[in-house]
Amino acid sequence: MSVDAPARTLNVALVGNPNTGKSTLFNALSGIRQKTGNYPGVTVEKKHGAFTHNGQKVELIDLPGTYSLAPRSPDEMVTVDVLLGRQAQEAKPNAVLVIVDASNLERNLYIVSQVKELGLPTVVALNMGDIAQDKGISVDVAKLEQRLGVPVVATLAHRRGGLDQLRDTIVSLLDRESVPVESPFPEEFCDKVGQLHTKLQQHDPQATRYLAERLLLDTSGYLEQELTSGGQELHSWIVESRNQLAELGQPVPAIEAISRYQWVQGVLDGIVTREATRKVTWSDRIDRILTNRIGGSLFFIFIMTLMFQAVFSDLVAGNLMEYIEGFFEIIGGFVDASLADGALKSLLIDGVIAGVGGVLVFLPQICILFFFIAILEDCGYLSRAAYLMDRLFSKIGLSGKSFIPLLSSFACAIPGIMAARVIENRRDRLITILVAPLMSCSARMPVYVLLTAAFIPDETYGGVLSLHTLVMLSMYLLGIVAAVGVAFVLRRTILPGETPPFVMELPSYKFPSITGVLLVMVEKGWAFVKRAGTLIFAMTVIVWALSYFPRNEEAVTAPFADEIAQLETQREEANKEQAAQIDERLAEINNQIDGQLLRSSFLGMAGHWIEPVVKPLGWDWKIGSAAIASFPAREVIISTMGVLYNLGGDEDEESAPLRDTIKGAKWEGTDRNVFNVPVALSIMVFFALCAQCAATLAVIKRETNSWGWPIFTFVYMTVLAYVGALITYQVSAAIMLG
Amino acid sequence: MFPDIPLSMIQPGSVVRISQVVGGQDDVKRMAEMGLQAGTEIEMLQSGSPCIIRVGQSKLCFRPSDILNILVSTDKA
Repeated sequence: MSVDAPARTLNVALVGNPNTGKSTLFNALSGIRQKTGNYPGVTVEKKHGAFTHNGQKVELIDLPGTYSLAPRSPDEMVTVDVLLGRQAQEAKPNAVLVIVDASNLERNLYIVSQVKELGLPTVVALNMGDIAQDKGISVDVAKLEQRLGVPVVATLAHRRGGLDQLRDTIVSLLDRESVPVESPFPEEFCDKVGQLHTKLQQHDPQATRYLAERLLLDTSGYLEQELTSGGQELHSWIVESRNQLAELGQPVPAIEAISRYQWVQGVLDGIVTREATRKVTWSDRIDRILTNRIGGSLFFIFIMTLMFQAVFSDLVAGNLMEYIEGFFEIIGGFVDASLADGALKSLLIDGVIAGVGGVLVFLPQICILFFFIAILEDCGYLSRAAYLMDRLFSKIGLSGKSFIPLLSSFACAIPGIMAARVIENRRDRLITILVAPLMSCSARMPVYVLLTAAFIPDETYGGVLSLHTLVMLSMYLLGIVAAVGVAFVLRRTILPGETPPFVMELPSYKFPSITGVLLVMVEKGWAFVKRAGTLIFAMTVIVWALSYFPRNEEAVTAPFADEIAQLETQREEANKEQAAQIDERLAEINNQIDGQLLRSSFLGMAGHWIEPVVKPLGWDWKIGSAAIASFPAREVIISTMGVLYNLGGDEDEESAPLRDTIKGAKWEGTDRNVFNVPVALSIMVFFALCAQCAATLAVIKRETNSWGWPIFTFVYMTVLAYVGALITYQVSAAIMLG
Repeated sequence: MFPDIPLSMIQPGSVVRISQVVGGQDDVKRMAEMGLQAGTEIEMLQSGSPCIIRVGQSKLCFRPSDILNILVSTDKA
């Protein structure tokens, strides 16, 4: 530790191809000192980390994995803006750390050649040397360093190898302000870039040479819009220059790949040695099975089954869920004992504890699912799954890349929608985002569990397959089938276009990094807890208020006052058995009072208004109210139904009283049961298809940068849910009730 | 001298050379950034659509489309 530690913080940007171990290295360098966020208006995640080495503080900015620094969209522009110091909320990096895959230098050095043109002090981390060795490839590091003209450090990120040397090297860059720019392009091209740079500086003195070069190379027109506001004179000059370069045998944009790969060849000449015959690696052997059409599909089904078993079986998640439920019961009991009856107590028990607790119960399942997904991604299997799924997805006009976001959506649509960022094609990304909320997330589970347990006969086929499991499974399948249908329709109506090509790298298999996997799990789990503590909490309070006010307790209690007084007098002289009976009657009266209060609340009034609309679905006003209350967050339905069916609202889906009460619920003024199998199915279908999640809609707004898409999602899913529930009820009622 | 054929017609295990990446300038450039450009030697690992090919030391899966395709030459280089 140096005594007079320098005060200046060193900002280092991490750049590299996908699948080079960049995130693993970032995690290894910064440990848990990291935070993730978002750049405004784009879907690029910003990850910040930090470490202190020999008294020097180093801030790390992890940029998204990319094959090239050629911005052709706002998302790609962010990376280049950060590197050039043009990103408003980001300090300009003092240095760049490029992570390269030692077994694939030919392609990885392409981006190194681009970074060297930025004029920033650079260090190259030569990662995954063990995989290179397996493939029979060796690299002369000293020679590579000499040829590149920048420090090269061999690292093994997943085993934390070479980290100290890397930290030393990074810190040693502190005193270097800038380095000479090296360009691999021919002289004529460089001259044109120089001229364009001068022209740009007349408008904007801050314009960099690198952006001038990108402008000349970018034939998509994106940068011209971005940098020059489409000035006609400059546009003509750029077009003319490209024509002149083409005549000189330097066609734009092909000249970039030609020049850079030539430079790469020159650098690697005599540095990389390979065994004469290609070694068959473990990855190759595993791939022969896992990417085979039959073997791969069987393994895929096996992995998915295993994952959902872990998520939904009592063995893993169930026990943890019981602990959480128990915890909230204790808190509820404590609040119940220490507060006098009234609005505050009702808010805390019926609102906060029931609402937030009802959501947090699903934390284990979210964590288990993300644990699985993180492991599958880290070991390299998810890209194989995307390859297998592409066959199906391409039939509906999407690509295999949509598989991962949709898989994540089974835990929760919010991270699922965020995972859609890996899809470059804007139309594909949009469709994936719009159908992701149709996947049955864990918040729908309590509804399925409650209604299945209450109304579906407990039958078993062949001693193995229970009808309950079948019904649950069909709800999940319904979401998938609906998503396929909606994607198909969107492709042919409002989002038309060619099925985009699909190109994706399949990384070598490796052991997942436990630290990285746990970090992902904690991060996603924490995001879920935060959501429960903020949005769900707020929504629960609002729903509670709507179901609590207006409250005229005196008027409602009056008809029961005499009976209550009489019962309480009798209870004082009653024996144990009589006391129990009296208590039961008192509880019954209380429930009736609660029910009456609810009927006259705002929520009750709204329920009565919409009764004609929900009647064709087989619902009474209470189910209608519960459905309305669940629009902000579908988890709310359980506690709302508890309140609605005269139980006081601290119910969860396992609660036998709620099950029994809804079984015995009657249409008002008749002895006809409200609930039966068709009604239960119609509620389940409605919840499977409806967009009852404000947080998901907020994320869609953020990711698409428009209010139009969340509104569209809400409308189409609500219509779909209503029509689905209507058909389900009418058809099943006709079959079962005659 | 055989004519160039689309990548999808290549049998697993064959080693061929890319003669042309056919598509829009932007897509063709993206492919080049991933190492797929004219003159590159590739090995077909799993045929079909999408297929899996080996390019240098990396494996890529690729599904051709109407707007982007790879033509290969089966002539021995």
